[in-house]
Formats: sequence, C-alpha cells, structure tokens
Amino acid sequence: MGNQGKEGIEKLEYFAPKTLSEALILKGKWKAVGTFIAGGTNVIPDMRAKGLRPEVLIDLSHLKNLSYIKEEKKKIRIGSLTRISELASSKVIQKCAPILSQAAYQLGNPLVRNRATIGGNLADASPAADTAVPLLVLEAVVVAESDGRKRRQIPIDQFFTGQNRTALRRGEMIKEIIFPKPNSNAKMGYSKLGLRNAMAVSVVSVAILIDMDGNRCRKARIGLGAVAPTPMRANRIEEILTGREITKGLIEDCSIEVMKEISPITDIRATEDYRRQMTSILLRRVIEQVTS
Amino acid sequence: MPELKIVGKPIPRHDAWEKAFGLTTYAADFSLPGMLYGKVLRSRYPSARIISIDTSKAERLSGVKAVLTAKDVPRNESVTRFGQTHAMGGGFEGLYRVLADKKVHFMGEPVALVAAETEEVAERALELIKIEYQPLSGVFDPLEAMNQDAPAVEEGKSNIITHYEVLKGNVEEGFSEADVIVENTYRVPFVDHAYLEPESGVAWIDENGVITIRVSTQVIEHFRGIADVLDLPHNRVRVIGTYVGGGFGGKEDITVESFLALLTFKTGRPVKLTYSREESILSHSKRHPYVMFYKTGAKKDGRLTALQAKLVSDAGAYVYLSPWVLLYSMVDAAGPYRIPHVRIDGYTVLTNNTFTSANRGFGAPQVCFAYESQMDELARRLEMDPREIRKKNYLEKGEALATGQILQHPVALRETTEMALEALGEKTPSSGRVRIGQGIASGMTSYGRMIFLHDTSRSHVSIEMDGSATIRAGVQDIGGGQASSLCQIVSEVLGVPLEDVKIYIADTALTPFAGTTTATRQLYMSGNATLMAAEEVRRTLLSKASEMLKIDPQRLDLVDREVVDVEGSGKSLPIKDVVKACASDGLPLYHIALFKAPFRNLTQFERIEGQVFPDFTFGTHGAEVAVDEETGRVQVLKLISCFDVGRAINRSSVEGQLEGGAIYGMGYGLTEEVVLDRGMTMTPSFSEYLLPTSMDVPDVQTILIESGEGAGPFGAKGVGEPSVCSVAPAISNAVQDAVGVRIYDLPLTPEKIIKAINQKRRD
Amino acid sequence: MTVKFIKKHSLKISVNGEWKKTEVAPGETLLYTLRERLGHTEVKEGCGKGDCGACAVLLDGKAVNACLTIALQANGQKVITLKGIGTPERPHPLQESFVKHGAIQCGFCTAGMIVSAKGLLGENPHPTRGEIRRAISGNLCRCTGYTKIVDAIEETAKKLRKQ
Repeated sequence: MGNQGKEGIEKLEYFAPKTLSEALILKGKWKAVGTFIAGGTNVIPDMRAKGLRPEVLIDLSHLKNLSYIKEEKKKIRIGSLTRISELASSKVIQKCAPILSQAAYQLGNPLVRNRATIGGNLADASPAADTAVPLLVLEAVVVAESDGRKRRQIPIDQFFTGQNRTALRRGEMIKEIIFPKPNSNAKMGYSKLGLRNAMAVSVVSVAILIDMDGNRCRKARIGLGAVAPTPMRANRIEEILTGREITKGLIEDCSIEVMKEISPITDIRATEDYRRQMTSILLRRVIEQVTS
Repeated sequence: MPELKIVGKPIPRHDAWEKAFGLTTYAADFSLPGMLYGKVLRSRYPSARIISIDTSKAERLSGVKAVLTAKDVPRNESVTRFGQTHAMGGGFEGLYRVLADKKVHFMGEPVALVAAETEEVAERALELIKIEYQPLSGVFDPLEAMNQDAPAVEEGKSNIITHYEVLKGNVEEGFSEADVIVENTYRVPFVDHAYLEPESGVAWIDENGVITIRVSTQVIEHFRGIADVLDLPHNRVRVIGTYVGGGFGGKEDITVESFLALLTFKTGRPVKLTYSREESILSHSKRHPYVMFYKTGAKKDGRLTALQAKLVSDAGAYVYLSPWVLLYSMVDAAGPYRIPHVRIDGYTVLTNNTFTSANRGFGAPQVCFAYESQMDELARRLEMDPREIRKKNYLEKGEALATGQILQHPVALRETTEMALEALGEKTPSSGRVRIGQGIASGMTSYGRMIFLHDTSRSHVSIEMDGSATIRAGVQDIGGGQASSLCQIVSEVLGVPLEDVKIYIADTALTPFAGTTTATRQLYMSGNATLMAAEEVRRTLLSKASEMLKIDPQRLDLVDREVVDVEGSGKSLPIKDVVKACASDGLPLYHIALFKAPFRNLTQFERIEGQVFPDFTFGTHGAEVAVDEETGRVQVLKLISCFDVGRAINRSSVEGQLEGGAIYGMGYGLTEEVVLDRGMTMTPSFSEYLLPTSMDVPDVQTILIESGEGAGPFGAKGVGEPSVCSVAPAISNAVQDAVGVRIYDLPLTPEKIIKAINQKRRD
Repeated sequence: MTVKFIKKHSLKISVNGEWKKTEVAPGETLLYTLRERLGHTEVKEGCGKGDCGACAVLLDGKAVNACLTIALQANGQKVITLKGIGTPERPHPLQESFVKHGAIQCGFCTAGMIVSAKGLLGENPHPTRGEIRRAISGNLCRCTGYTKIVDAIEETAKKLRKQ
C-alpha cells in the first residue's frame, strides 16, 4: 500500500534488539523518533494520556544481561532492566540499602512492579519517581551508554534536569546504576505519603541516610520527592545536620527549614501548602525514626 | 418462619461458576462477522455554540463507513418521561438529546458518531472531523445557576428544574422549643460509579429487519426510546441485556444504545461500541453533588423538636433523573427520626457540568451524611452518647415520617445500633500521633420504586417434561444475584434442584418485562412475580399428584424431584410423572405472573406528602478509624454493617451486597471525587479518581437481622442501595471522635482533616 | 486518503499451554492480541493503563497487566490466563473457593483477581491476610468490598498446603 502523503499516515515500527549495542545503534539511527520501551508501565499510559504516537518503538525487554543486582566489595551495581519487584525482594538490597527496597516495595502495585524497571523509573524522571529519592541519598551514579560515544557516568544529583527531563543525551540509554555500599552503621529511613495504601503516586516522599559519629552526625543525605520539578537533595538540611548532635531541637529546626527549600505545586492530589507541611512532618519523623 | 430448604442458604450462584471459568460473554466480548467499530466524538467545551461541522475528510478516510451528526438522527430530541408511561408534570420530563445540535452543554457531550472497519481507523476519523466552536459563558455552581441572571443552560428555560417542599408543623415554633440548635452546611461531590466494565454493546440488524442491540444495561425497556430515536415502531428494536460488569445506576439511562442503533441502521452492518475508561469518566452520568443547609433543634434530653433543611442538587447539563433523585432525598432528609416540626425545601438545578443521574442510593446517601452528622453534633452539644440521642428519636412501627408516610413494618434501628456498637467493641488504644475514633450512623433507604409509577414485574415459570424448570424474566443481572435469586425461589417452591433450574433473562423480544434493575427493586418485584408464578405451577402439580396418589394436596410437598407425603405414609411420585400426566390432560405446565407494587396516585409534587415508597430498609453502620493527626490520613480499622434484611434469600449474596456497599460508601467518604473545574474533568482516569484498593479496607463485618417483615418474597427486604447510605457519616463521626474535628464536605481527604485540626488549634 | 499499512510482525506465544502464532501490529498490547486475535475474551479491559488489574495474566509465571505489555515483548514467552488456571472439567481450587465464598458478584474483576491470587500462591504458600491484600492490591473490585475475595484466597492456600 502506497504512501498517500503526510496526512493519514500511521507509521509505527518496532524493533527488538538483542544486544545493548544493537539497541544503541537503533536509537542513534532513529534519534528523537525512537522511543525506548522496557516495562511499558510509563510509555503505554503516556501514549494514551498525552496522545504520544511514537513512530519507532525500541523494545529493550529482550536484552539479556541488563537485569542484575551485583554486590561487590564496595559497590552495588544494578542493571537498568532490573524489575522493581526484584529490587523489592532482593536480599542484597534489603541488607545494604533497605531504603531502596522499601521504595520499590511501595511503587505502584504488584502487577506493575513485575514489569517496571529501575532504568525506566529514572528515565521517566517524574518528580515523584519512587526509586529516585533513595538513589539520590545513596549518591548513585547513572551509567549511560550510546552508540559511538564514550560511556558516561552521571551522578544522580545531576541526572534530573527538569520535570520528566534527564541529562541523557540523544541516543543514550541507561545501562546500570551504581552506588557505594553504605557504611554498615549508616542509618537509613524512607517514608512515602500517598492518598491510598496501594497504587498511589507520592504526595511527598523522603529518604535519608545519616552516618553517625557517636551521637554526632558526620554526614547526612536527604532526598525528597514530589516537592520540586525533580526529585531533589535537601542540601541546606544536610548542612544543618552535618557535624552536629542530633537533638530534638535540631530536628525541629530542620523540619522548619526544609519547607523553605522545596518548591511544591498544587495539583489534583494535593495543594502546595499541604505538601510543604507534609515534607516537614515526614522529614521530622524519618530523622526521629533513624536516630531513636 | 417455615423451614426453607434452598431459600436462605448461601448457595453458590449459577452465574458465579461461569464467571469463575471466564465463560461469561460480557458486552465487549461478543463479536459478529463483518462487524464495524463505533466511536463517539465529544465536545471539547462545557458551553459553546457549534458554528459548523465538517465531516468530509472523515468520510473520505478509507475504512470509514458512516459519519453521523445531529442532522442524521431521525428524532434527535425527545421529551423523555424517564420511565413512567404517562404524563406526570412536576418536572419529571426531561429533554433527551442524542447528539449535540446547535450548542454543547457539557464537556464530553456527544457531537458525532463514526463507524469504521477498525478501531484505529475510527479514531483517526474522529480526528478528521472539524468542528468550529464559539465558546460561551457557562455556569458551574448550582447556587449561582439559581440566580435570575445566570446563563441559561438550556436556552429559554429556567435552570431550576423543580422545587419540592416537605412541611410538617411549624419550624419556628419547633426551634423556639429547642434548648440547643445546630446549624451547618454540608457538601457532597460528583462521584463516578466506576464499574469495572466500561459501557459497551454490539448492534446488528437481524434477518427480520429488527435492530438488535446486545448491551450492558440495567434497563432493557429503553428499546422504546431507541425505536423513537430511529423513528421506528417499537417492535423493530430488540434489546438483549448481557450480564453486566457492574451498574450501580450508571447504566440505568441510555448509554451506547442509541449510537449503536444509528450506526447499524445507517451501515446495515453489525457495530461494536465500547467506551474507554477516560470516556466513561468524562461523559456518563455522575452522582448528584448536593449543598445541604441543615438546622436541627433538640431539647436538653435529646428529643428533636425541629428540622429545617434546604437541599440544592447539581443536575448537570441535562435533566435525566434529577427530579426523582431529589424526591428521594426529600423523603429521606429528616432521617428515620421523630420530629414534630419539619420544613425541607429542595431544588435541582441545571449547570454546564456533566449530567447527573442515578447512583446507588439515589439521593439517600447525600442527605444521610447531613442528618447523621447533625445527630452527632447535637449529641456533642448535649454531652449525650450518640447512641442515646438516636434511640430517643428513632421512629417505630406505626409512626410516620415527616412526609406523613406511616411505617407499616418494624423498624430495627435500636437493634442494629446496639449490635453494631457491640461488634465495634472496645476502642483500640491510640498511640503516638495516631488517634483512634469510633462512630455510628443509621440510615433509612427505600426499596421498590415510587408508588405512583404503577410498578410491575412479570415472570414466566415453566416445568419441562423431564421435571427440570425454566424461568423467563426480563431481569437485568448486574452482579447482585438478580437472576440466581429467582432460581433459588423456583427451586424452593417446585422441589427442583438448583442445577435443574435454568433462567433466561433480559431480552425484550423473548422474556416478559420485569422492569428496571434499579431502586433495589428486583428481588422485591421479580422475586414476588417469580414466587407467584412458581406457586401457580406448584398448585397444578400438587392437584394432579393428589389425584394420582389419592392424598389430600395439603399433605403433599415437592422435594428433590419428588412429590412426597409429609405425613409419612411413604407414598411418593417422581415430579416428572406428574408433569407427564398434566401434559396428557392438557393442563398448563407454566404460569406467567404479574406482580404489582402498591399504587397511590400523587397528584401534585409541590409538597411531598403521604406514602411515596412501598417500604424502607433500616440499618446502622459502625466504624473505627485511625487518624494520623499530622498527615490527616485515615485508616478504617473496623467497619460493621448491621441491617434488618427481612429475609436473606441467599445469605452469601446478602452479605456480599452489604460488604460491597460498605466499601462503596467508604470510597464516597474518604477518597472519591470527580473534580470538575469550570466543567472540565480533572480526574480523567483511575490514577486520579481513587477507588479503595484491597489494602485500604478492613474486613467488613456484616450482621443480619431477619425480621421477616419485608415486602419481598419470603419477607425479604432490598439491600443493594441501603448498604451504602450511612457509611460516610459513620466514618465522619468516627473521625470527629478521633481528632475532635468535623468535616462538612466529602470526601474526608487528609488535607481537609489537617486544615480542620490546624484551624481548631488556632481557635 | 488512507491509513498507511502498518507493518505486521510475527508473534509466537504459548497461551495456556498451546503455542500460537499470529501477526500483530507493532504497538499492539498483549491485551489486544489475546482478546481480538486469539479469542481470549476472558482477559478483560477495565482501564487500559494499569490502574485496575482486570487484564492480569501470568507472563512466564509473573502476574502482569496485559494492557501494559506490548504483545511483541511477550514473543516466545508463556502466558496463562484464567482459562489456563482451571476449567469446568478441571477446576482450580481458587475457582471453587471464589464461588463457594461468594467472592464473585458482577465477575468482571474475577479473571484478573484469580490470576493475581495464583501468582501469589505460586510464590508464597502461607500468605497472611495482609499479604493476600497486598498481592491483589493492583486488582480493583467495585462489587464485593474484597472481604470474601480474601477469605477465598486464604482458604485455598490452606487447602493447597494440605494436598
């Protein structure tokens, strides 16, 4: 059947590359017109809601060797196609970085968790992306590959550049996520507030990692979700905590200061005001929880 | 009560097996060769003039077989009396418009139809239809819409569809006698039925030229309205009702039927039309939002002296069932309480919002939220136990509602309240920031339609040559066991095992009309009709058996395929032998019975007086909630549903209705709202419109009282809608108990709770 | 004016133990393929975007939303639907239990619900009621309020453990 002209044309092509380099060559060739699909749990709803009509689907789900959770001496390496359900149930993650497994455990619902991938969750870059918040706090690095160019290591706090926008360049794909194994005596906590107990987009989410030195905080990392255009680190709060003894008063100060650091919006789920208040509450609770 | 063998047992339903095996053919599961796919183009504005419609490009798209607009509809507009067969007045007539013509009145209003070879082509065709709109100002608040200078939703007509009044005594006098008066404004939102099965159907023209529509519907009787749309005789349209994947009132009005009929009529080919979920949320009817101004007065000892209320409901852009829903609210607005002085004014008002119509409870849940919140507020002011103030005022058998309707049957409110509270038990201890609260709320909900409607139901019961039984009834089965209860009744009466009873339902050509599956009426109406028909067949069989056995028919019973002598002579006969004997003698082995609901003519509707409903179901919900006083999140820990169900024909089904209704009501109370912003739906899918998931709900505990005093078969009462009514206020009262704040508008979102808590701290 | 012919791809999947081969459009979901091309209308569409679970199937043993899976992603894989879990001739205890407990009203959520339950019992033969609720938290039900569904799954787990 012939090409009748621009109008009325439906072009949809599908490729199932078998290797990473094949996938990258395809992306390099099709550029903006090529859409990666892994778990499909964002791409397919987006196609419905935003009327996205991807012209070329590059299906990553058949790539072998990109689904793994590897514990090395000092690092944890997670393949980008690792399913969220794997993250949630992984003994390695539960042991070394429980905030990541907890976040994974609360993402979506069990059916979605069996398909969604960690790479997809990050590449979609929702301000509320569940795995992003603990990964920020774990100071993860996103390893990006492309056809022809050098592999890049993008620190996660530079990865999210705007709402649903990432630092990934045209033709790049996430290969894996690496983070240093936290100290065995690091204290970690995670909390997500949603409007339901399942299938709930975060209204606010908080993750923290604190390295203590006796009763002084040596290092603090605070991650916040759904309160800014991107998942973010609460740098000011981290400064406040670093080097100090974590007292009730200090926690109180942090919970007040954090409200100034965020830029939440009002949307169908919550008002800006409520999000601000809840960030304060959740932060206080999580710090209390890990230091008790 | 006589010992029943099948009725009253928790028997697995016949349709449950088919559903368990995935064998049920729901509307969208059915296909025919040569079938086309239909799609609907909908308005992008809530209020606009249609300047022009250009369908030429869409028509030229290869694969498109029909593109229809208002001009292509033989009768695009009709004044529908929404169910009744004679003129009523009182605002009960409503304009039914198939496709928007010169203007659009709500966002999502259907404007054009397409039928094409594939869904993709049909969708593409929709995009190629060019409509030029001139946006107009609209009105989105029913209170605003009541003003003289508000834009008229339907040109030349007042936005106020109707006004009713209930008047008893003199409220000024009543308030002057009160020691305490509580005055509040309550608001409840648009909500969606959210049935899992989106609207769907397939239509075709059969070999006799009959437009046949196989559709998921609660009302097959719409075949008449559809025939009128096509300007065809009524007997040229046939509606076959499928097993429905959830109705709840949302499939009570015409949904896809007219569109299907038009497209199949135009193309001559079968057509399937299925709404997407977004389309369903956008465009089908919603539950009426209400603004309710309540003023209630009581004496120190808790006795109510006066109740004054003004109800304003948002009818959306078309009348549909708004006047009826309001009428229900008027009867229920004072609650099941003894109040000497009552004045209620009710208005239903057009706006440019999505049209509103039937939703489980039909006006009862809205006012119940108000009157049960008021009762608890009075209790607080008087420092009385919420149970005590209610018990002081509950109506009893023989007493009258504010409208004057006398309650003919026992009112089990005291019992249900006591049992609900007992089941709630000791309050779980609060800990940390999580406060525990308990609350109760009682409700009264009618079952059976309004008595001026000459409601009837017919059922055809026959016994086959081999002793098996067949039922033919127009009953639409929407998942509440409507069909299987009839099988249970026949099995009981004719002694035919349930597996030998088959039922054919919901076909306007082949099954006697049973009326709508609405108003919690099927068990009552069709159950009675089926009972009557089965009893007639039973009489025929026992009379013949008596001849054959030479035993008095009084001594005979039909049990398990046999006629037996209950006085133990040991004589018996297989039923099929009796059947054969009847057949040889030319005796009829079937009966079609007509059951009529009691009738009372209402000649005016300005003031609602006297009996409006056949009967009511009374019950109490109890809730225990855990409220996080910093986030406002509410977790329902316990939910008790205690009802006088009259008689549980199928215990498992009745519990299922109560449990399901409790969660339906819980969603209404806590998370569900279709948010419309100047007519635009801001909650387009189930990601934004939040239904309770399995992790959000407790195990619902059901307690059944069987007074045997219902108007249905074997003394059954209807429970489908009553099960919803008082849940939201029970939860709201529990939240008040937990954190000391009352929320006056549903849903009780965490934000509202925190706002109220913060406000309270400031005061 | 026409809609350009969309290149069809060849798909091979096993459905309920039988290998099937069919042509599919590139962007077609597994839900579409199962319902429209392979006749498996027991798999339902409730929302089309993963919010309701009515379309749940087991894909290589894991319960997933068929509406969120592009058919070609399941190429070479094994799909189990409700009909692959049990039939009238050989009912699965889950089906018997659902019917016995009154866990089926309108039935539209049932197929997806039983699939999720099967997925759960395959991974966890001793689920608590809380774990059952979690496993079906992606399956909405509007009719039952979930209580009898949880009862049915709990009883089935006990029954299967005895076997």
